[in-house]
Amino acid sequence: MKIIIRLRKIIALIILLAGLIVLPHYLEFHYQDLLIFLIVNVLVVASYRIVTLTGEWSLIHAVMMGVGAYTAALLFKNYNAAMWFTLPLAGGAAALTAALLSFPLFRMTQFYFLIGSFAAGEAIRLTWMQFIFPFGGSGGLSGIEPPIIGSIDFMDPIPYYYLALGVVLICLFILYRIENSKIGMTLHAIHWKAPLAESVGVDTWRYRALAFIIGSFFVGIAGALKIHYLGTITPNQFGIGFMVFILIWVIVGGYKTIYGPLIGVVVLTIFDESVRGFGELRPAIYGGVLIISILFLPLGLESIYPKILTWCGIGSNSSDGPPP
Amino acid sequence: MKITRRDFLKKTATGVVLAGVATGLPVNVFANEKTVKIGMNIPMTGDYAPWGLPGLYGCEIIADDINAAGGVKIGNTNYKIEMVSFDHAYDTEKTIQGYKKLVLEDDVKMVMMLGGSTVSSILPWAQRKKMLTTTLLPSDITPKSEYVIATCESHPLYNVTGVEWLAENFPEAKTAVIVTNNDVEWGLQSASTYKAAFEVAGIKVVDVNLHGFDVTDFAPIVSSVLAKKPDIFCMATSFYTTPLMEQLYHQGYKGKIISCTLDYYNEIIAKTSKEFVNGTIFQFPDFDDPALLQEGIHFPDPNGFDAKFRKNHPNDWSAVAWEYPAILLNWIEGAKAAGSVEPTEVLKALKSNKKPNFVFGGGRWWGSELWGLDNAIVGRWPVVVIEDGKARIKEFRSLTDWLDKNNDILKKNMKALGLRTV
Repeated sequence: MKIIIRLRKIIALIILLAGLIVLPHYLEFHYQDLLIFLIVNVLVVASYRIVTLTGEWSLIHAVMMGVGAYTAALLFKNYNAAMWFTLPLAGGAAALTAALLSFPLFRMTQFYFLIGSFAAGEAIRLTWMQFIFPFGGSGGLSGIEPPIIGSIDFMDPIPYYYLALGVVLICLFILYRIENSKIGMTLHAIHWKAPLAESVGVDTWRYRALAFIIGSFFVGIAGALKIHYLGTITPNQFGIGFMVFILIWVIVGGYKTIYGPLIGVVVLTIFDESVRGFGELRPAIYGGVLIISILFLPLGLESIYPKILTWCGIGSNSSDGPPP
Repeated sequence: MKITRRDFLKKTATGVVLAGVATGLPVNVFANEKTVKIGMNIPMTGDYAPWGLPGLYGCEIIADDINAAGGVKIGNTNYKIEMVSFDHAYDTEKTIQGYKKLVLEDDVKMVMMLGGSTVSSILPWAQRKKMLTTTLLPSDITPKSEYVIATCESHPLYNVTGVEWLAENFPEAKTAVIVTNNDVEWGLQSASTYKAAFEVAGIKVVDVNLHGFDVTDFAPIVSSVLAKKPDIFCMATSFYTTPLMEQLYHQGYKGKIISCTLDYYNEIIAKTSKEFVNGTIFQFPDFDDPALLQEGIHFPDPNGFDAKFRKNHPNDWSAVAWEYPAILLNWIEGAKAAGSVEPTEVLKALKSNKKPNFVFGGGRWWGSELWGLDNAIVGRWPVVVIEDGKARIKEFRSLTDWLDKNNDILKKNMKALGLRTV
């Protein structure tokens, strides 16, 4: 039985990969761009999930993406650094910032942590806004170019899509491995039974900080990926508005499994684009659908599949409690 | 009834001829008629929507009028105009998507944009596709942005005309304070321009408060600057004119007020009083103003346009309502001169005209002294004052004359606030 389930998963993965490879060739130009930003946002929500594994929800993740993006932008603008260097360094800068912020932030938990993370994020974002040198102030920085290798110009959407897809898949694989490693299990344990975990010698502060640093590292890479394609960076790209979108993607998608946030970002991005024709009514329609979705699917879109299995009598509803 | 072979052939032949006439006539009549698409990549939702959506409404009015009159003749072809819009909500990601959709999929011949970081994000594509792109913020122009032009609004340079008028008409006003948001695209550009204008006019700036977008309570800001007892309160290009005006009203300010914009001034009057708002100086007229009927104004039937706009969209009039249409009119002028709708041809024709039609007249290409490229049209600009609760043009003043005399002072003040100049 296990072999069949595994085989089914591998086949599904192969079909998904094949679909992702051929997809851009069937899309119009501006949908190719949308696909690139969607792929980057998949990494954003996947990395955010690592932070939420310990039960802490932060409001600084968008700013951490900005730390990575600004690092890449400044390295490119000042040192003409190639993207292959800026990507890991962007992740490193975001991770380092997270490590430093861990000391004050993880003295708080729950709601206080949420507010503290928002305040810390705004302090960073306002610094970018306040200093025209070196950050460009509110107007930000522009002219950050993607690489050109031989005849492949990564300014074109299809080559850049494959580049982004490759980087994001590697990152997702690492994040998946982390979640299913001993570290991941410990993070889950802290979420569901923190006092019990502490009683058996788990340093919960250290693990919470580690989750925050890992999440920030990967979202920093996502920031660099995005900015090398956009070519322009401004502080507003990483404001509370974008952070709210991250939260919506994760909440609507569900956060019990790694698939939930990914489903959330994909479905909501496609939905947002599909209602573009409604013009000024679009935000209202989007908001209405969110409310309906939260009311009728409180455990997120990821809970639909187990529900269907339960209705068909071939599975049990496993989305109500903690993961095994 | 028996149909003979002769009858059948006769009737069939008649039918074929009639069908040929019916289908052939329009083909012959409209053989040289085409549709040209003009793109608008603007914010239509979100915080910046008031500086995007009214512009689309305005352009649709102009395009409908032109189309109803039979279109516009460019070269040997008669063109109907179709506006194609994309809502980028002032988001750089969506801006790039929108730009590519308009240019590569919709085949528009010009893209109108608001300006700022959204224009920076599409610059590489404008260059690569040689696409004529317009902005309302000429500070977007760089030495390398040859396809980006600003043919209507030369924000914030025209603010100097308001200060000049104020200094001449109220010589007793000798001190000023400036309060505005600290963003690079609007606030700082405007604050530095006002500082330069005050310096030229011999008015001393006693305080400058550049606040962030996070401010929700303007009482302490207004209190602190009013403590300097200024004769003039300058809001530069503030996103917060309404709360600032409310605070000035509640704190009993009696001096002169000057601002770049005063969008939705009726709301300000409703929140304060007509008497308080009367006398406020700004730069954006309503288009029902009789002063716009005088010679030298390059905008067809401005009063009729205003009436039509307010009838169709009663609560949406803002400064951009006539600015994007004015840019559209510039494009038509360029396309007619070029005899072509192709972006590079239109740009070439527009740039080769040393005295281009400018909405308020007296236009000329300018910009290399400040941004490295003569890609902005500057000319006369109106000084507008609220009188009896209504915006009224007091005078048109020459921006070009001021720039010719005082460009160095302007540059000095821009550099002092860390802004880019050549």
